[in-house]
Amino acid sequence: MRMNKLRADVQALLFLLPFLVIYGLYTIWPMIKGVEMTFYKWTLIRKMKYIGWDNYTKMFHDQEVWAAIWHSTIFVLITTPTMIVLAIVLALIANRKSRLQKFYRSVFFLPSVLSVAVASYLGLFIFQPYMGFVNSLLHLIGLLPSGTELFWLTELNLSWVALSVITLWWTVGFNFILYLSAMQDIPDEIYEAARLDGASDRHVFWKITLPYLNPITKTITMLQIIASFKVFLQIYIITGGGPLDKTRPIIQLIYTTGFRKNDLGYAATMSYVVFVILLVLSAIQYWMNNRKGAQA
Amino acid sequence: MKWFYRIISILAAFFFVAPIVWMLVVSIKEEGMKIITLVDWFTPPYSFAVYHQILMGTKLTNWIGNSFLVAICVTLLTVTFAAMAGFALSKIPFRYRALMFFVVLAGLLIPGEAIIIPLYQVAKDQSLLNSYQGLIIPVLASPVAVIVLKSFFDGVPNDLIESVQIDGGGTWRIFMNIMLPLTRPALASMAILTFIGSWNNFLWPFLSVTDDNLFTLPMGIPTLMSSYSEDYVKPMVVNTISSLPIILLFLIFERQIVKGVSLSGIKG
Repeated sequence: MRMNKLRADVQALLFLLPFLVIYGLYTIWPMIKGVEMTFYKWTLIRKMKYIGWDNYTKMFHDQEVWAAIWHSTIFVLITTPTMIVLAIVLALIANRKSRLQKFYRSVFFLPSVLSVAVASYLGLFIFQPYMGFVNSLLHLIGLLPSGTELFWLTELNLSWVALSVITLWWTVGFNFILYLSAMQDIPDEIYEAARLDGASDRHVFWKITLPYLNPITKTITMLQIIASFKVFLQIYIITGGGPLDKTRPIIQLIYTTGFRKNDLGYAATMSYVVFVILLVLSAIQYWMNNRKGAQA
Repeated sequence: MKWFYRIISILAAFFFVAPIVWMLVVSIKEEGMKIITLVDWFTPPYSFAVYHQILMGTKLTNWIGNSFLVAICVTLLTVTFAAMAGFALSKIPFRYRALMFFVVLAGLLIPGEAIIIPLYQVAKDQSLLNSYQGLIIPVLASPVAVIVLKSFFDGVPNDLIESVQIDGGGTWRIFMNIMLPLTRPALASMAILTFIGSWNNFLWPFLSVTDDNLFTLPMGIPTLMSSYSEDYVKPMVVNTISSLPIILLFLIFERQIVKGVSLSGIKG
Protein backbone atom coordinates (compact mmCIF):
# COMPACT_ATOMS: atom_id res chain seq x y z
CA MET A 1 0.00 0.00 0.00
CA ARG A 2 1.41 3.40 -0.97
CA MET A 3 0.88 6.33 1.38
CA ASN A 4 3.06 8.85 3.12
CA LYS A 5 4.94 7.78 6.21
CA LEU A 6 3.18 9.84 8.86
CA ARG A 7 -0.27 8.92 7.60
CA ALA A 8 0.67 5.25 7.58
CA ASP A 9 1.91 5.49 11.15
CA VAL A 10 -1.27 7.16 12.36
CA GLN A 11 -3.55 4.72 10.56
CA ALA A 12 -1.66 1.67 11.73
CA LEU A 13 -1.85 2.96 15.28
CA LEU A 14 -5.61 3.45 15.00
CA PHE A 15 -6.08 -0.11 13.73
CA LEU A 16 -3.83 -1.55 16.41
CA LEU A 17 -5.21 0.58 19.23
CA PRO A 18 -8.10 -1.58 20.55
CA PHE A 19 -5.92 -4.68 20.64
CA LEU A 20 -2.95 -2.87 22.17
CA VAL A 21 -4.99 -1.18 24.90
CA ILE A 22 -6.51 -4.48 26.11
CA TYR A 23 -3.24 -6.34 25.65
CA GLY A 24 -1.33 -3.71 27.60
CA LEU A 25 -3.86 -3.38 30.40
CA TYR A 26 -4.64 -7.06 30.98
CA THR A 27 -1.52 -8.92 29.87
CA ILE A 28 1.56 -6.68 30.05
CA TRP A 29 0.56 -4.63 33.07
CA PRO A 30 -0.39 -7.65 35.25
CA MET A 31 2.94 -9.21 34.31
CA ILE A 32 4.78 -6.19 35.69
CA LYS A 33 2.41 -5.84 38.63
CA GLY A 34 2.96 -9.51 39.48
CA VAL A 35 6.68 -8.97 39.94
CA GLU A 36 5.92 -6.23 42.47
CA MET A 37 3.47 -8.52 44.32
CA THR A 38 6.11 -11.21 44.82
CA PHE A 39 8.02 -8.88 47.14
CA TYR A 40 5.07 -8.31 49.47
CA LYS A 41 2.94 -10.13 51.95
CA TRP A 42 -0.12 -9.17 49.88
CA THR A 43 -3.65 -10.16 50.94
CA LEU A 44 -7.01 -10.14 49.15
CA ILE A 45 -8.02 -6.87 50.80
CA ARG A 46 -4.67 -5.46 49.72
CA LYS A 47 -2.99 -5.24 53.06
CA MET A 48 0.62 -5.08 51.92
CA LYS A 49 3.82 -5.54 53.80
CA TYR A 50 7.21 -5.41 52.08
CA ILE A 51 9.15 -8.59 52.77
CA GLY A 52 11.90 -8.54 50.13
CA TRP A 53 12.93 -11.95 48.80
CA ASP A 54 11.11 -13.90 51.55
CA ASN A 55 8.46 -15.34 49.21
CA TYR A 56 11.19 -16.68 46.95
CA THR A 57 13.30 -18.27 49.67
CA LYS A 58 10.16 -19.75 51.25
CA MET A 59 9.11 -21.20 47.92
CA PHE A 60 12.41 -22.92 47.25
CA HIS A 61 12.11 -24.76 50.54
CA ASP A 62 8.39 -25.44 50.26
CA GLN A 63 7.83 -29.17 49.68
CA GLU A 64 4.18 -28.54 48.71
CA VAL A 65 5.24 -26.41 45.75
CA TRP A 66 7.67 -28.97 44.37
CA ALA A 67 5.19 -31.79 44.97
CA ALA A 68 2.49 -29.89 43.07
CA ILE A 69 4.85 -29.17 40.17
CA TRP A 70 5.70 -32.87 40.14
CA HIS A 71 1.98 -33.81 40.05
CA SER A 72 1.42 -31.55 37.05
CA THR A 73 4.47 -33.16 35.44
CA ILE A 74 3.12 -36.67 36.10
CA PHE A 75 -0.08 -35.63 34.39
CA VAL A 76 1.91 -34.38 31.39
CA LEU A 77 3.92 -37.61 31.25
CA ILE A 78 0.81 -39.79 31.30
CA THR A 79 -1.46 -37.81 28.99
CA THR A 80 0.90 -36.64 26.24
CA PRO A 81 1.95 -40.01 24.75
CA THR A 82 -1.49 -41.59 25.23
CA MET A 83 -3.11 -38.55 23.63
CA ILE A 84 -0.89 -38.84 20.53
CA VAL A 85 -1.48 -42.58 20.10
CA LEU A 86 -5.22 -42.29 20.65
CA ALA A 87 -5.54 -39.32 18.28
CA ILE A 88 -3.69 -41.20 15.51
CA VAL A 89 -5.78 -44.35 15.99
CA LEU A 90 -9.03 -42.37 15.88
CA ALA A 91 -7.86 -40.48 12.80
CA LEU A 92 -7.02 -43.78 11.08
CA ILE A 93 -10.52 -45.03 11.86
CA ALA A 94 -12.22 -41.92 10.51
CA ASN A 95 -9.93 -41.78 7.49
CA ARG A 96 -10.89 -45.26 6.24
CA LYS A 97 -13.53 -45.13 3.55
CA SER A 98 -16.78 -46.42 5.02
CA ARG A 99 -20.40 -45.43 5.33
CA LEU A 100 -19.81 -44.48 8.94
CA GLN A 101 -16.96 -42.04 8.19
CA LYS A 102 -18.98 -38.93 8.98
CA PHE A 103 -20.47 -40.55 12.06
CA TYR A 104 -17.03 -41.35 13.46
CA ARG A 105 -15.83 -37.82 12.86
CA SER A 106 -18.77 -36.32 14.78
CA VAL A 107 -18.62 -38.85 17.59
CA PHE A 108 -14.91 -38.50 18.31
CA PHE A 109 -15.10 -34.72 18.38
CA LEU A 110 -18.40 -34.40 20.26
CA PRO A 111 -17.02 -34.54 23.84
CA SER A 112 -14.66 -31.65 23.03
CA VAL A 113 -17.51 -29.15 22.87
CA LEU A 114 -18.76 -30.03 26.35
CA SER A 115 -17.97 -27.58 29.10
CA VAL A 116 -15.03 -28.65 31.23
CA ALA A 117 -17.34 -28.70 34.25
CA VAL A 118 -19.78 -31.07 32.54
CA ALA A 119 -16.98 -33.36 31.40
CA SER A 120 -15.52 -33.41 34.90
CA TYR A 121 -18.79 -34.15 36.69
CA LEU A 122 -19.66 -36.79 34.13
CA GLY A 123 -16.28 -38.35 34.89
CA LEU A 124 -16.80 -38.05 38.62
CA PHE A 125 -20.06 -39.99 38.50
CA ILE A 126 -18.95 -42.48 35.88
CA PHE A 127 -15.98 -43.60 37.98
CA GLN A 128 -17.92 -43.74 41.27
CA PRO A 129 -17.85 -47.14 43.04
CA TYR A 130 -21.13 -49.10 43.52
CA MET A 131 -23.28 -47.00 41.20
CA GLY A 132 -20.86 -45.69 38.58
CA PHE A 133 -20.97 -46.60 34.91
CA VAL A 134 -17.46 -48.03 34.67
CA ASN A 135 -17.70 -50.46 37.55
CA SER A 136 -21.19 -51.52 36.47
CA LEU A 137 -19.89 -52.18 32.97
CA LEU A 138 -16.96 -54.18 34.32
CA HIS A 139 -19.37 -56.24 36.44
CA LEU A 140 -21.65 -56.78 33.46
CA ILE A 141 -18.95 -58.16 31.16
CA GLY A 142 -17.41 -60.13 34.02
CA LEU A 143 -14.05 -58.37 34.21
CA LEU A 144 -14.71 -57.37 37.79
CA PRO A 145 -16.07 -60.10 40.13
CA SER A 146 -19.42 -59.09 41.61
CA GLY A 147 -19.16 -57.88 45.17
CA THR A 148 -15.81 -56.19 44.53
CA GLU A 149 -15.44 -52.55 43.62
CA LEU A 150 -12.62 -50.50 42.14
CA PHE A 151 -12.12 -47.22 44.02
CA TRP A 152 -11.09 -45.10 41.06
CA LEU A 153 -11.19 -41.78 42.86
CA THR A 154 -9.57 -42.55 46.18
CA GLU A 155 -6.78 -44.97 45.27
CA LEU A 156 -3.77 -43.02 44.00
CA ASN A 157 -2.80 -45.02 40.91
CA LEU A 158 -6.40 -45.56 39.86
CA SER A 159 -7.19 -41.86 40.27
CA TRP A 160 -4.42 -40.96 37.81
CA VAL A 161 -6.00 -43.45 35.40
CA ALA A 162 -9.47 -41.97 35.89
CA LEU A 163 -8.23 -38.37 35.52
CA SER A 164 -6.32 -39.24 32.35
CA VAL A 165 -9.15 -41.22 30.78
CA ILE A 166 -11.59 -38.36 31.33
CA THR A 167 -9.14 -35.80 29.97
CA LEU A 168 -8.40 -37.93 26.91
CA TRP A 169 -12.08 -38.49 26.25
CA TRP A 170 -12.85 -34.81 26.61
CA THR A 171 -9.94 -33.27 24.65
CA VAL A 172 -8.70 -35.81 22.12
CA GLY A 173 -11.15 -34.46 19.52
CA PHE A 174 -9.00 -31.43 18.69
CA ASN A 175 -5.87 -33.50 18.10
CA PHE A 176 -7.89 -36.09 16.22
CA ILE A 177 -9.09 -33.42 13.77
CA LEU A 178 -5.54 -32.13 13.30
CA TYR A 179 -4.33 -35.63 12.46
CA LEU A 180 -7.31 -36.35 10.23
CA SER A 181 -6.75 -33.24 8.13
CA ALA A 182 -3.02 -34.00 7.94
CA MET A 183 -3.82 -37.54 6.75
CA GLN A 184 -6.15 -36.21 4.10
CA ASP A 185 -3.34 -34.02 2.80
CA ILE A 186 -1.19 -37.05 1.99
CA PRO A 187 -1.35 -37.45 -1.81
CA ASP A 188 -3.21 -40.58 -2.98
CA GLU A 189 -0.51 -41.34 -5.58
CA ILE A 190 1.95 -42.23 -2.85
CA TYR A 191 -0.44 -44.83 -1.46
CA GLU A 192 -1.20 -46.19 -4.91
CA ALA A 193 2.48 -46.54 -5.70
CA ALA A 194 3.03 -48.40 -2.43
CA ARG A 195 0.12 -50.74 -3.21
CA LEU A 196 1.55 -51.49 -6.65
CA ASP A 197 4.79 -52.48 -4.94
CA GLY A 198 2.74 -54.86 -2.81
CA ALA A 199 3.19 -53.09 0.52
CA SER A 200 1.06 -54.33 3.40
CA ASP A 201 -1.27 -52.10 5.45
CA ARG A 202 1.15 -52.14 8.31
CA HIS A 203 4.06 -51.26 6.06
CA VAL A 204 2.14 -48.36 4.52
CA PHE A 205 1.33 -47.01 7.99
CA TRP A 206 4.87 -47.16 9.37
CA LYS A 207 6.70 -46.13 6.20
CA ILE A 208 4.34 -43.56 4.68
CA THR A 209 1.57 -42.31 6.95
CA LEU A 210 3.53 -41.91 10.17
CA PRO A 211 6.59 -40.16 8.67
CA TYR A 212 4.22 -37.85 6.79
CA LEU A 213 2.53 -36.92 10.07
CA ASN A 214 5.82 -36.08 11.74
CA PRO A 215 5.54 -32.26 11.64
CA ILE A 216 1.99 -32.22 13.04
CA THR A 217 3.02 -34.76 15.69
CA LYS A 218 5.74 -32.38 16.88
CA THR A 219 3.27 -29.49 17.04
CA ILE A 220 0.64 -31.54 18.87
CA THR A 221 3.20 -32.89 21.34
CA MET A 222 4.31 -29.43 22.41
CA LEU A 223 0.76 -28.02 22.55
CA GLN A 224 -0.32 -31.03 24.61
CA ILE A 225 2.56 -30.71 27.05
CA ILE A 226 1.69 -27.05 27.61
CA ALA A 227 -2.04 -27.74 27.95
CA SER A 228 -1.56 -30.68 30.32
CA PHE A 229 0.79 -28.72 32.53
CA LYS A 230 -1.97 -26.15 33.05
CA VAL A 231 -4.48 -28.77 34.24
CA PHE A 232 -6.75 -27.61 37.03
CA LEU A 233 -10.50 -28.06 36.96
CA GLN A 234 -10.78 -31.77 36.13
CA ILE A 235 -8.57 -32.64 39.07
CA TYR A 236 -10.19 -30.06 41.36
CA ILE A 237 -13.65 -31.54 40.72
CA ILE A 238 -12.85 -35.23 40.36
CA THR A 239 -10.35 -35.92 43.14
CA GLY A 240 -10.09 -32.49 44.78
CA GLY A 241 -6.33 -32.99 44.51
CA GLY A 242 -6.55 -36.06 46.73
CA PRO A 243 -5.91 -38.64 48.01
CA LEU A 244 -3.83 -36.67 50.55
CA ASP A 245 -3.03 -33.93 48.01
CA LYS A 246 -1.16 -36.51 45.93
CA THR A 247 -2.81 -35.42 42.67
CA ARG A 248 -2.97 -31.68 43.41
CA PRO A 249 -1.51 -29.80 40.42
CA ILE A 250 0.42 -26.54 40.68
CA ILE A 251 -2.42 -24.33 39.38
CA GLN A 252 -4.65 -25.63 42.16
CA LEU A 253 -1.96 -24.87 44.74
CA ILE A 254 -1.66 -21.33 43.38
CA TYR A 255 -5.43 -20.89 43.61
CA THR A 256 -5.57 -22.30 47.16
CA THR A 257 -2.65 -20.20 48.35
CA GLY A 258 -4.00 -16.98 46.89
CA PHE A 259 -7.70 -17.26 47.51
CA ARG A 260 -8.14 -19.73 50.38
CA LYS A 261 -5.04 -18.92 52.40
CA ASN A 262 -5.30 -15.24 51.49
CA ASP A 263 -1.69 -14.90 50.37
CA LEU A 264 -1.70 -13.34 46.89
CA GLY A 265 1.96 -12.37 47.09
CA TYR A 266 3.11 -15.93 47.63
CA ALA A 267 0.67 -17.23 45.00
CA ALA A 268 2.06 -14.71 42.50
CA THR A 269 5.59 -15.92 43.30
CA MET A 270 4.57 -19.52 42.55
CA SER A 271 2.91 -18.50 39.31
CA TYR A 272 6.23 -17.13 38.06
CA VAL A 273 7.65 -20.64 38.34
CA VAL A 274 4.80 -21.82 36.12
CA PHE A 275 5.52 -18.87 33.89
CA VAL A 276 9.17 -19.81 33.44
CA ILE A 277 8.36 -23.48 32.79
CA LEU A 278 5.68 -22.63 30.22
CA LEU A 279 7.88 -19.95 28.67
CA VAL A 280 10.62 -22.49 28.03
CA LEU A 281 8.10 -24.97 26.57
CA SER A 282 6.50 -22.31 24.34
CA ALA A 283 9.92 -21.11 23.20
CA ILE A 284 10.80 -24.68 22.15
CA GLN A 285 7.46 -24.94 20.35
CA TYR A 286 7.98 -21.61 18.58
CA TRP A 287 11.53 -22.50 17.63
CA MET A 288 10.40 -25.84 16.20
CA ASN A 289 7.62 -24.21 14.23
CA ASN A 290 9.96 -21.66 12.76
CA ARG A 291 12.46 -24.27 11.76
CA LYS A 292 9.64 -26.16 10.10
CA GLY A 293 8.61 -22.96 8.29
CA ALA A 294 12.19 -22.29 7.18
CA GLN A 295 12.41 -25.71 5.55
CA ALA A 296 9.11 -25.42 3.71
CA MET B 1 -8.96 -58.26 8.85
CA LYS B 2 -11.70 -55.98 7.64
CA TRP B 3 -13.94 -57.22 10.44
CA PHE B 4 -11.24 -56.57 12.97
CA TYR B 5 -11.05 -52.92 11.86
CA ARG B 6 -14.81 -52.61 11.97
CA ILE B 7 -15.09 -53.98 15.48
CA ILE B 8 -12.33 -51.71 16.77
CA SER B 9 -14.01 -48.72 15.12
CA ILE B 10 -17.42 -49.49 16.56
CA LEU B 11 -15.93 -50.08 20.01
CA ALA B 12 -14.11 -46.75 19.87
CA ALA B 13 -17.31 -44.98 18.85
CA PHE B 14 -19.10 -46.74 21.70
CA PHE B 15 -16.63 -45.45 24.27
CA PHE B 16 -17.01 -41.91 22.98
CA VAL B 17 -20.81 -41.83 23.03
CA ALA B 18 -21.46 -44.11 26.01
CA PRO B 19 -20.89 -41.50 28.74
CA ILE B 20 -23.19 -39.05 26.97
CA VAL B 21 -25.90 -41.66 26.44
CA TRP B 22 -25.55 -42.73 30.07
CA MET B 23 -25.94 -39.09 31.14
CA LEU B 24 -29.14 -38.73 29.07
CA VAL B 25 -30.63 -41.99 30.32
CA VAL B 26 -29.88 -41.35 33.98
CA SER B 27 -31.26 -37.83 33.66
CA ILE B 28 -34.73 -39.17 32.81
CA LYS B 29 -34.87 -41.74 35.62
CA GLU B 30 -37.13 -41.17 38.60
CA GLU B 31 -35.37 -39.65 41.54
CA GLY B 32 -34.52 -41.63 44.68
CA MET B 33 -35.03 -45.09 43.17
CA LYS B 34 -32.71 -47.95 44.02
CA ILE B 35 -30.56 -47.97 40.93
CA ILE B 36 -27.44 -50.06 41.14
CA THR B 37 -26.57 -52.16 38.14
CA LEU B 38 -26.23 -50.96 34.60
CA VAL B 39 -29.42 -52.82 33.68
CA ASP B 40 -31.39 -50.73 36.19
CA TRP B 41 -30.31 -47.56 34.44
CA PHE B 42 -31.57 -48.70 31.07
CA THR B 43 -34.99 -50.01 32.08
CA PRO B 44 -38.13 -47.95 32.82
CA PRO B 45 -39.77 -46.16 34.60
CA TYR B 46 -38.64 -42.82 33.24
CA SER B 47 -39.79 -39.33 34.10
CA PHE B 48 -39.03 -35.72 33.21
CA ALA B 49 -40.00 -34.42 36.66
CA VAL B 50 -36.47 -33.52 37.66
CA TYR B 51 -35.99 -31.43 34.50
CA HIS B 52 -38.91 -29.31 35.58
CA GLN B 53 -37.47 -28.95 39.09
CA ILE B 54 -34.03 -27.92 37.88
CA LEU B 55 -35.27 -25.53 35.20
CA MET B 56 -37.68 -23.79 37.58
CA GLY B 57 -35.89 -24.10 40.91
CA THR B 58 -32.31 -23.14 40.04
CA LYS B 59 -30.42 -20.43 38.19
CA LEU B 60 -29.13 -22.87 35.58
CA THR B 61 -30.94 -21.23 32.66
CA ASN B 62 -29.63 -17.86 33.85
CA TRP B 63 -26.10 -19.19 33.74
CA ILE B 64 -26.57 -20.66 30.28
CA GLY B 65 -27.77 -17.20 29.22
CA ASN B 66 -24.70 -15.59 30.82
CA SER B 67 -22.40 -18.06 29.10
CA PHE B 68 -23.96 -17.25 25.73
CA LEU B 69 -23.91 -13.49 26.34
CA VAL B 70 -20.27 -13.50 27.41
CA ALA B 71 -19.19 -15.90 24.65
CA ILE B 72 -20.95 -13.84 21.94
CA CYS B 73 -19.49 -10.53 23.14
CA VAL B 74 -16.02 -12.02 23.58
CA THR B 75 -16.16 -13.63 20.13
CA LEU B 76 -17.33 -10.51 18.27
CA LEU B 77 -14.87 -8.17 19.96
CA THR B 78 -11.89 -10.53 19.92
CA VAL B 79 -12.24 -11.24 16.22
CA THR B 80 -12.84 -7.55 15.40
CA PHE B 81 -9.81 -6.36 17.36
CA ALA B 82 -7.63 -9.17 16.04
CA ALA B 83 -8.70 -8.50 12.43
CA MET B 84 -7.91 -4.79 12.77
CA ALA B 85 -4.53 -5.45 14.34
CA GLY B 86 -3.72 -8.22 11.86
CA PHE B 87 -4.63 -5.92 8.96
CA ALA B 88 -2.33 -3.15 10.21
CA LEU B 89 0.53 -5.63 10.64
CA SER B 90 -0.08 -7.16 7.23
CA LYS B 91 -0.94 -4.30 4.89
CA ILE B 92 -0.03 -0.89 6.37
CA PRO B 93 3.66 -0.03 5.85
CA PHE B 94 4.26 1.88 9.08
CA ARG B 95 7.46 2.44 11.01
CA TYR B 96 8.13 -0.05 13.86
CA ARG B 97 6.04 -2.71 12.09
CA ALA B 98 8.63 -5.38 12.83
CA LEU B 99 8.83 -4.29 16.45
CA MET B 100 5.06 -4.35 16.82
CA PHE B 101 4.86 -7.81 15.28
CA PHE B 102 7.45 -8.98 17.78
CA VAL B 103 5.42 -7.51 20.67
CA VAL B 104 2.35 -9.50 19.54
CA LEU B 105 4.40 -12.67 19.03
CA ALA B 106 5.78 -12.35 22.54
CA GLY B 107 2.19 -12.51 23.76
CA LEU B 108 2.00 -16.10 22.51
CA LEU B 109 4.55 -17.01 25.14
CA ILE B 110 2.64 -15.51 28.06
CA PRO B 111 0.37 -18.13 29.63
CA GLY B 112 -2.87 -16.73 31.03
CA GLU B 113 -2.64 -19.00 34.07
CA ALA B 114 0.66 -17.46 35.13
CA ILE B 115 -0.64 -13.90 35.32
CA ILE B 116 -4.02 -14.73 36.82
CA ILE B 117 -3.14 -13.56 40.36
CA PRO B 118 -1.93 -10.07 39.38
CA LEU B 119 -4.75 -9.86 36.80
CA TYR B 120 -7.18 -10.37 39.67
CA GLN B 121 -5.57 -7.46 41.53
CA VAL B 122 -5.62 -5.24 38.43
CA ALA B 123 -9.29 -6.01 37.75
CA LYS B 124 -10.07 -5.34 41.39
CA ASP B 125 -8.32 -1.97 41.31
CA GLN B 126 -10.40 -1.07 38.25
CA SER B 127 -13.64 -2.29 39.93
CA LEU B 128 -14.13 -4.90 37.21
CA LEU B 129 -14.81 -7.79 39.59
CA ASN B 130 -18.39 -9.09 39.69
CA SER B 131 -19.49 -7.50 36.43
CA TYR B 132 -20.16 -8.53 32.85
CA GLN B 133 -17.45 -6.08 31.75
CA GLY B 134 -15.02 -7.89 34.01
CA LEU B 135 -15.91 -11.25 32.45
CA ILE B 136 -15.51 -9.88 28.93
CA ILE B 137 -12.89 -7.12 28.67
CA PRO B 138 -9.76 -8.74 30.17
CA VAL B 139 -9.91 -11.71 27.78
CA LEU B 140 -10.29 -9.77 24.53
CA ALA B 141 -6.65 -9.52 23.41
CA SER B 142 -5.75 -12.72 21.58
CA PRO B 143 -2.27 -12.73 20.04
CA VAL B 144 -3.02 -16.10 18.40
CA ALA B 145 -5.99 -14.65 16.53
CA VAL B 146 -3.95 -11.63 15.41
CA ILE B 147 -1.19 -13.82 14.03
CA VAL B 148 -3.48 -16.32 12.30
CA LEU B 149 -5.53 -13.52 10.70
CA LYS B 150 -2.42 -11.58 9.71
CA SER B 151 -1.15 -14.62 7.83
CA PHE B 152 -4.47 -14.82 5.97
CA PHE B 153 -4.38 -11.10 5.14
CA ASP B 154 -0.85 -11.61 3.79
CA GLY B 155 -2.42 -13.85 1.17
CA VAL B 156 -4.68 -11.10 -0.23
CA PRO B 157 -3.00 -9.71 -3.39
CA ASN B 158 -1.83 -6.09 -3.20
CA ASP B 159 -3.19 -5.33 -6.71
CA LEU B 160 -6.72 -5.54 -5.33
CA ILE B 161 -5.85 -2.99 -2.66
CA GLU B 162 -4.25 -0.62 -5.14
CA SER B 163 -7.33 -0.72 -7.35
CA VAL B 164 -9.40 0.55 -4.43
CA GLN B 165 -6.83 3.25 -3.73
CA ILE B 166 -6.96 4.40 -7.37
CA ASP B 167 -10.72 4.75 -6.93
CA GLY B 168 -9.94 7.02 -3.99
CA GLY B 169 -10.88 4.54 -1.27
CA GLY B 170 -9.25 4.92 2.12
CA THR B 171 -7.72 2.36 4.43
CA TRP B 172 -11.00 1.77 6.23
CA ARG B 173 -12.74 0.92 2.95
CA ILE B 174 -9.95 -1.45 1.98
CA PHE B 175 -10.36 -3.19 5.32
CA MET B 176 -14.15 -3.41 5.19
CA ASN B 177 -14.72 -4.03 1.46
CA ILE B 178 -11.71 -6.13 0.51
CA MET B 179 -9.97 -7.74 3.43
CA LEU B 180 -12.93 -8.85 5.54
CA PRO B 181 -15.03 -10.37 2.73
CA LEU B 182 -12.04 -12.15 1.17
CA THR B 183 -10.98 -13.79 4.42
CA ARG B 184 -14.44 -14.66 5.68
CA PRO B 185 -13.73 -18.41 6.14
CA ALA B 186 -10.72 -17.64 8.32
CA LEU B 187 -12.73 -15.11 10.33
CA ALA B 188 -15.55 -17.61 10.83
CA SER B 189 -13.15 -20.31 11.97
CA MET B 190 -11.46 -17.94 14.39
CA ALA B 191 -14.86 -16.88 15.69
CA ILE B 192 -15.96 -20.47 16.32
CA LEU B 193 -12.76 -21.36 18.15
CA THR B 194 -13.00 -18.21 20.26
CA PHE B 195 -16.61 -19.06 21.07
CA ILE B 196 -15.78 -22.60 22.24
CA GLY B 197 -12.82 -21.23 24.21
CA SER B 198 -14.99 -18.68 25.97
CA TRP B 199 -17.76 -21.22 26.60
CA ASN B 200 -15.22 -23.45 28.35
CA ASN B 201 -13.29 -20.71 30.11
CA PHE B 202 -13.27 -21.50 33.78
CA LEU B 203 -10.41 -19.99 35.72
CA TRP B 204 -11.03 -16.29 35.10
CA PRO B 205 -14.82 -16.32 35.72
CA PHE B 206 -14.20 -18.53 38.75
CA LEU B 207 -11.87 -15.94 40.31
CA SER B 208 -13.46 -12.71 39.16
CA VAL B 209 -17.14 -13.36 39.92
CA THR B 210 -18.70 -14.24 43.27
CA ASP B 211 -22.27 -13.03 42.63
CA ASP B 212 -24.22 -16.10 41.49
CA ASN B 213 -26.40 -14.01 39.18
CA LEU B 214 -23.31 -13.42 37.04
CA PHE B 215 -22.02 -17.00 37.01
CA THR B 216 -21.26 -18.63 33.69
CA LEU B 217 -22.02 -22.32 33.26
CA PRO B 218 -18.65 -23.83 34.21
CA MET B 219 -18.76 -22.10 37.60
CA GLY B 220 -22.45 -22.52 38.20
CA ILE B 221 -22.41 -26.27 37.74
CA PRO B 222 -20.07 -27.02 40.69
CA THR B 223 -22.13 -24.90 43.10
CA LEU B 224 -25.26 -26.84 42.16
CA MET B 225 -23.57 -30.23 42.25
CA SER B 226 -22.17 -29.81 45.74
CA SER B 227 -25.70 -29.82 47.15
CA TYR B 228 -26.73 -33.08 45.44
CA SER B 229 -25.21 -36.11 47.03
CA GLU B 230 -27.84 -38.85 47.34
CA ASP B 231 -28.37 -39.98 43.78
CA TYR B 232 -27.29 -39.30 40.22
CA VAL B 233 -30.48 -38.08 38.62
CA LYS B 234 -30.22 -34.39 39.50
CA PRO B 235 -26.54 -34.11 38.60
CA MET B 236 -27.16 -35.72 35.23
CA VAL B 237 -30.11 -33.43 34.56
CA VAL B 238 -27.85 -30.45 35.27
CA ASN B 239 -25.21 -31.88 32.93
CA THR B 240 -27.75 -32.58 30.20
CA ILE B 241 -29.40 -29.16 30.31
CA SER B 242 -25.95 -27.53 30.28
CA SER B 243 -24.78 -29.55 27.31
CA LEU B 244 -27.79 -29.53 25.00
CA PRO B 245 -27.32 -25.97 23.63
CA ILE B 246 -23.66 -26.50 22.76
CA ILE B 247 -24.29 -29.98 21.34
CA LEU B 248 -27.01 -28.53 19.09
CA LEU B 249 -24.65 -25.76 17.97
CA PHE B 250 -22.03 -28.39 17.24
CA LEU B 251 -24.41 -30.43 15.09
CA ILE B 252 -25.39 -27.31 13.13
CA PHE B 253 -21.90 -25.87 12.65
CA GLU B 254 -19.93 -29.10 12.56
CA ARG B 255 -18.27 -28.44 9.20
CA GLN B 256 -17.07 -24.96 10.16
CA ILE B 257 -15.84 -26.18 13.53
CA VAL B 258 -13.82 -28.98 12.00
CA LYS B 259 -12.39 -26.58 9.42
CA GLY B 260 -11.54 -24.06 12.13
CA VAL B 261 -9.69 -26.63 14.17
CA SER B 262 -7.64 -27.85 11.22
CA LEU B 263 -6.78 -24.26 10.21
CA SER B 264 -5.61 -23.40 13.70
CA GLY B 265 -3.42 -26.49 13.73
CA ILE B 266 -1.75 -25.68 10.45
CA LYS B 267 -1.03 -22.16 11.61
CA GLY B 268 -0.21 -23.08 15.18
